Amino acid sequence: MAEYSTVGKPIPRLDGLEKVTGQAIYGDDLKFPNMLYGKALRSECAHAKILNIKIDKAGRLPGVRAVVTGKDTPFLGGEALMDYPFLAIDKVRYVGEPIAAVAAIDEEVAEEAIDLIEVEYEPLPALLDPQKAMEPSAPLIHERMNTYKHLPVIKPIENSNICHYIQFIKGDVEKGWDGSDLLFEDTFTTQMVQHGAIEPHMAIAQVDPAGKITVWVTNDSPHRLRMDLSNAMGIPLKRLRVISPPYIGGNFGGKGGLKVETICIPLALRVNHRPVKMVLTREEVFTASLVRHPSIVQLKTGVKKDGRIWAREAKVIYDTGAYAEKGPTVCQQACVAAVGPYKIPNVKVDGYCVYTNKPIAGAYRGYGIPQVAWAHESQMDIIAQKLGMDPVEIRMKNVVGEGDISPTGQQKLHSVGLKECIKKVAESVDWNRPKEKYRGKGMACAFKNTKTPTGSSAIVIVSQDGSVEVLTSTVEIGQGSKTILAQMVAEELGVPVENVIMVTPDTDITPFDASTTSSRSTFHMGNAVRRAAKDAREQLFLIASEILGEDSEDLAIEKGLIFSKKNPGKKLTITQVIKHEYQAGLDIIGKDSFYPIAEGETGGMWSAPSIFWMYGAHYAEVEVDIETGRVKILKISGAHDVGKAINPSTCQGQIEGGMVHGIGPTLFEEMIIGERGEVVNPSFLDYRMPAAPDIPEITSLIVEAPHREGPWGAKGIGEMTVVPMAPAIANAIDDAVGVRIKDLPITPDKILKALKEKLVRK
Amino acid sequence: MKHLIHLKINGEPYEVSVKSNLTLLDLLRDEIGLTGTKKGCDTGQCGACTVVLNGRTINSCLVLAVDANGKEVSTIEGLAKDGKLHPLQEAFIQEGAVQCGYCTSGMILSAKALLDENLTPKEEEVKKAIAGNLCRCTGYVRIVKAILDVAKRLGG
Amino acid sequence: MLSKLRPFKYLEPSTLPEAISLLDQFEGKAKILAGGTDLIIQMKQRKLTPEYVINLKNIPELDYIKYDGKDLRIGPLVTHSSVANSPIIKENFGLLVEAVIAVGGVQTRNRGTVAGNLCNASPSADTPPALIALGAKLKVLSSEGERILNVENFFTGPFATVLKRKEILAEIQIPHLPPYSGGAYLCLPKITAVDETLVGVGAFIAVDSEKVCTQARIGLGSVAPTPIRALKTEEFLRGKRIENGLFEKAGEIAADESSPRSREEYRREMVKVFVKRALGEAFRKIDLNVL
Repeated sequence: MAEYSTVGKPIPRLDGLEKVTGQAIYGDDLKFPNMLYGKALRSECAHAKILNIKIDKAGRLPGVRAVVTGKDTPFLGGEALMDYPFLAIDKVRYVGEPIAAVAAIDEEVAEEAIDLIEVEYEPLPALLDPQKAMEPSAPLIHERMNTYKHLPVIKPIENSNICHYIQFIKGDVEKGWDGSDLLFEDTFTTQMVQHGAIEPHMAIAQVDPAGKITVWVTNDSPHRLRMDLSNAMGIPLKRLRVISPPYIGGNFGGKGGLKVETICIPLALRVNHRPVKMVLTREEVFTASLVRHPSIVQLKTGVKKDGRIWAREAKVIYDTGAYAEKGPTVCQQACVAAVGPYKIPNVKVDGYCVYTNKPIAGAYRGYGIPQVAWAHESQMDIIAQKLGMDPVEIRMKNVVGEGDISPTGQQKLHSVGLKECIKKVAESVDWNRPKEKYRGKGMACAFKNTKTPTGSSAIVIVSQDGSVEVLTSTVEIGQGSKTILAQMVAEELGVPVENVIMVTPDTDITPFDASTTSSRSTFHMGNAVRRAAKDAREQLFLIASEILGEDSEDLAIEKGLIFSKKNPGKKLTITQVIKHEYQAGLDIIGKDSFYPIAEGETGGMWSAPSIFWMYGAHYAEVEVDIETGRVKILKISGAHDVGKAINPSTCQGQIEGGMVHGIGPTLFEEMIIGERGEVVNPSFLDYRMPAAPDIPEITSLIVEAPHREGPWGAKGIGEMTVVPMAPAIANAIDDAVGVRIKDLPITPDKILKALKEKLVRK
Repeated sequence: MKHLIHLKINGEPYEVSVKSNLTLLDLLRDEIGLTGTKKGCDTGQCGACTVVLNGRTINSCLVLAVDANGKEVSTIEGLAKDGKLHPLQEAFIQEGAVQCGYCTSGMILSAKALLDENLTPKEEEVKKAIAGNLCRCTGYVRIVKAILDVAKRLGG
Repeated sequence: MLSKLRPFKYLEPSTLPEAISLLDQFEGKAKILAGGTDLIIQMKQRKLTPEYVINLKNIPELDYIKYDGKDLRIGPLVTHSSVANSPIIKENFGLLVEAVIAVGGVQTRNRGTVAGNLCNASPSADTPPALIALGAKLKVLSSEGERILNVENFFTGPFATVLKRKEILAEIQIPHLPPYSGGAYLCLPKITAVDETLVGVGAFIAVDSEKVCTQARIGLGSVAPTPIRALKTEEFLRGKRIENGLFEKAGEIAADESSPRSREEYRREMVKVFVKRALGEAFRKIDLNVL
C-alpha cells in the first residue's frame, strides 16, 4: 500500500478552526453598505390564473424602493427544461409560488409592503396526485410545455403533464417471466421530504453602472447558475458574476438551480445600483425552495428457484411538483439504477417525471435513487423470505462485480466494491447470531451513478514565498471539499497542506466547474487540481533542473523542497527556484481541466453511462415495541466503496451523517400536503428530523475498489450514504415482527395496524 | 418605541438603543456584528441561535433584546480565551465533529452548558443535552464522542 | 406566515400590583411576557399581535418555589428547568419533574415558565396532566381580587383558558400527598424521541395496607381539546385491589374518555397502553416503601 504525505490521512478539516470560533462567514453574514431587503408575495392558490395584481399601495409605502411582478421578468429558466418563471407570469402553479416582490430599506417595511399588494385569482382545478395528472383527461399544468427549450436527452410527452419519459430495455422481460420459477409484484411509495439544511437560502444581487449583475448566493454551482441566468435572461455570461460566500451551511441538493437570486435580480435592476438582499424564512424554505420527489415504484421480478434474478421490470413515477427543475434528470439518472446493482439478463424500465400543483421537487441527496432502492431492496428480502434464502446470500449471488455489464446494458462496470461492502457490513455486526423476540436485522445495498459527462477546470498558483493558491469553483457545502482538494494539491505539488489556500468560488476569478453535486467533486475536480498541480510542479522542475544541472525526470519535491533523487543532499526552496528565473517577481501558474467521457452506449449527454458508480451496503438492527408500534433502532452499520478515501475522517463523517440523514425519511419525516395543495407542516416543530436522542450505535466502514481514472483511485461518496438505509430498516422490521411496510414513512400507526391485521388473519 | 439597554456581551459592556420588537439574535448579529450565532428557523426549534444568557443556554431568536437589559450574554465568539481554544472547540476540530458548521456555535455552547454542570455524563445524557440542537450533516456521532472525550479529560 | 415581530409597546412593571393595574389599563390589548417561548413564536406567526407586551421578569419576587413541609407553591416565573433542578420537588413531587423534563429541549426549558405554559393551553402540553394527577390548584389574580380553581377546570379549549383578559395566573399550588401513594408521568412522543407529546398520562394512586386503591387521579394530555381528568377511570379504580389486569382495564376505560381529533385510532390505543403503564409505574413507586 503506497504511503502518501497527506492523501489517505485523516487530517482535521482545514476550516474547522473558523467554524468552531464563529468566524466562518456564511451568506446571511454578508452585509453591504446601502443594502436593501427583498421580500416576495407568494401564491395562496395551488393552480390559478392571475387576473390582476395591484402594487401601487405597496409602491407608495415609505421606505419601499422597488416593486416587481412577472410582467417585469418575462424569463423562463431551468437546466433540464426551461419552464421556470422568475415571478409567476399569468398563472400560479403551486402554493408558495412568488408572484411579486419588493425591495425596501428594512425587512419590516418590506413585509408591510407585501401585505399591501392585492392579487385577484381565478382558481383552476389543482392536481395533487401524479397518477391523476398522468391521465389523458387531466388539465394541463404547463399548457405551453411543447414550446419549452430542453436538453436533448429530455423527452417530454406532448400535450400532457409528463415532462420526461425514459425507457430502458435489455433482453426481453416477457420471455424472462416465462423463464422464471417465481414471480413477484409489489408497489412501493415514498413521501415528500425536505433537505433540512440548517442554513436557509439567501441571495444578494447588485447591478453596477455598466450593467453587470453580481450575485452573492448560497448556491452549490456558481458557473452553472451563471449559465442558467444567462440562458433565462438572454444576456451574455460576461454581464453576470456569481460569488459564493466562503461557506454554505448545508446543501443536500436543495441549494442548486434558480432560487432566491431570481427575485433579487429584478429588484436590483431598479434600485440605482444598491444591493438587494433576501433570506428565505424557514417556512419559505419548506414551501418554496425544493423537496425530494415523492414516488411510486412498481416492481415486477422473476427469479429462478436458486435465487438468481432472471427478469425485472420497473415502472417509476416521480412527482416533480409545479416546475421541472432537476426532475427530468433525476428521473433519467435514477431509472438507469432502478433495477438495482444486479446481474439481470432481462430488464425493462419505464420512468415518468410528472407535473403536479405542489412544491417543486428537485435534486436531493441520492438524486432519485433512494426511491428506487427503497423498492428493489425491500422486494429483495420479500424474495429471499419466499425462497428461504439468507438476505446476504441472495444478494451476493446476484450483485454485479468488476467487468459485468450494467443492469440496463449501456456499459461495462469498473471499480465495483459491492461484494466487499456487503461482506464488511455483515462482518461488522454479528449477522448470524440467533434471533431475539421483537428484534430484527436487515440489510440493503445499492449503487449510484454520477452525471456524465461533466467538466472541471482548476488553476494552481505558486507564489514566490512558496504559498499556493488554488482556484476552483467547487463549493464547500460542509462535505469537506476544501480540505481534500487542498490535500490533493499538496500531495501532487509536494508542499505542506498548510501552505495551500483554496480560493472561494467567484465566476470572475475561479474557472468553470459543472457543479458541486452528483458526488462528482472528488473525482472531477480532484483530477483537475491534481493535473494543474502537476503542471505547476513541472514548471518548477524545469527551472530547478537548470539550477541543479539535472534532468527534470530525476527531480522530486517534498515539503516544498526540490531536490534531485540522485543527489538529495542539495535542496532548493520554491522561493529560490522562482527567484532564479524571475528575480523581479512572478508566479508559477499551473492549470488544467478534466472532462471524462464514459465508454458505452450513449443516448447523448447525461443519458446513461456513468464515469464511475458508487456502491454501498447498510445494516440495521431494530427492536419493535409491539404495544405502541414504535421502532427503536439499536444499531446501524454502513460500508461504502469510495475508490480511495482521500481523507478517511471526512469520509466516515459523510457515511455517519448520510445514514442518520437516511433514518429521517424512513421513520420520521413527511411533508403533509393539505386539500388546498398547501404544506400543512412547514416548520421544524411539525416536520421532525433526527435529533441526537434518535441516533443508534453507528459503525462506518470504508471500502476501496480503486478507479483507474480517479485521483489516487478515488470516486465519490456524498449521496450514496443515505440510499440503502430505508430498506435496511424496513427489512429489519419485517425480520423483527413479520410486518412489511411498503409506503414511507414507516410510522408506529402503520406498524400497529399491520400487527393487528396479522393477529386477525391468524 | 426605543429603549436604551445596558448589557454585557462576552464580558464587554454595551449600551444600545433598541426597538422593542428586536430579538436578541438580531441584536447580536445585526447591531453588534457578532455573526457567529446563526439563524436557522427563527422559532426556537433548530438551536442554531443558542447563546448563554445569565448562565443558561437559551434560543436567542425567542428573547427580546430589551429583555437582555442588565444581563450577561455569552456567544461562541467569547469562548476562546486569549486565543486559547476551549477544550470543546479543540475536540470538535480533532474529532471531525464539524461539517458545514452552521449548527456548531449553538452545539458547542449546549455542550459546554452540560459539562459545566456534569463532568461524568452518560452517553444518553449527552444526547439529551443537545436534543435542542439540530444537525443535518454529521449524524451527531462525532459530536457526542467529542463531548464525552472532553468530559473524560476535564476530570470525569 | 412567518415574519418579523410587529412593533409593540414594551412595559416593565416592577411589582405585581403594577403589572395587574397595567393589565387592567390595557385590557384586551396587552399580553404577558414571562419566558416568551410561546408568545414570541405566536407573534412571529402573526397569531397574536398585542399592542402592549408586559414583561414580568423584573419582578424577581415572582420566581419562587416555596415548601412548608406539606404544600408546594410555585410562582409564575418559575421555569421548567428550575422545577427539574429543584431538590424539594424531585423528592416530594417527583411526578411534576417527570413531566417538565418531557418539555422541549434544554433551551426551551431554561426559558419557558410552567405558568406561562399553562396559560398557553396547548392540548398537548406535558405539565397539565401531571398537575391534574397531583391535585394542583391555580391562583388567579386581577384588580378585582383572587380566585382559586382546580387545574383541570382551567382549560376551556385548544389554546383557551378561563383567564379573563385582565387576569394573571399568579401561583400553582400543590397540596401535600398522602402516605402510601405514588405518581408517574409517562408520555408517547408524536414522532421523534424528544418531541411534542402524542399521548401524555399523569397518574397518581394511593393505597391502604391491603393494596386497595383509596385515591386515584389521572390526567390525560393531548387526547382531547384540552387536558382532561379521567374521572370514570378514577371511579373505577377507587375501592379496588391492585392486582393483575386492573390497570389494563383502567386503560380501556380511559381510552373511552378520550376524544382525540387526529390519529384517533392510534391515540386511543395508546391511551390504553400508557394509562396502564403509568398506573403500573405509580404503583411500583409505592411498593418500594414497605406497606
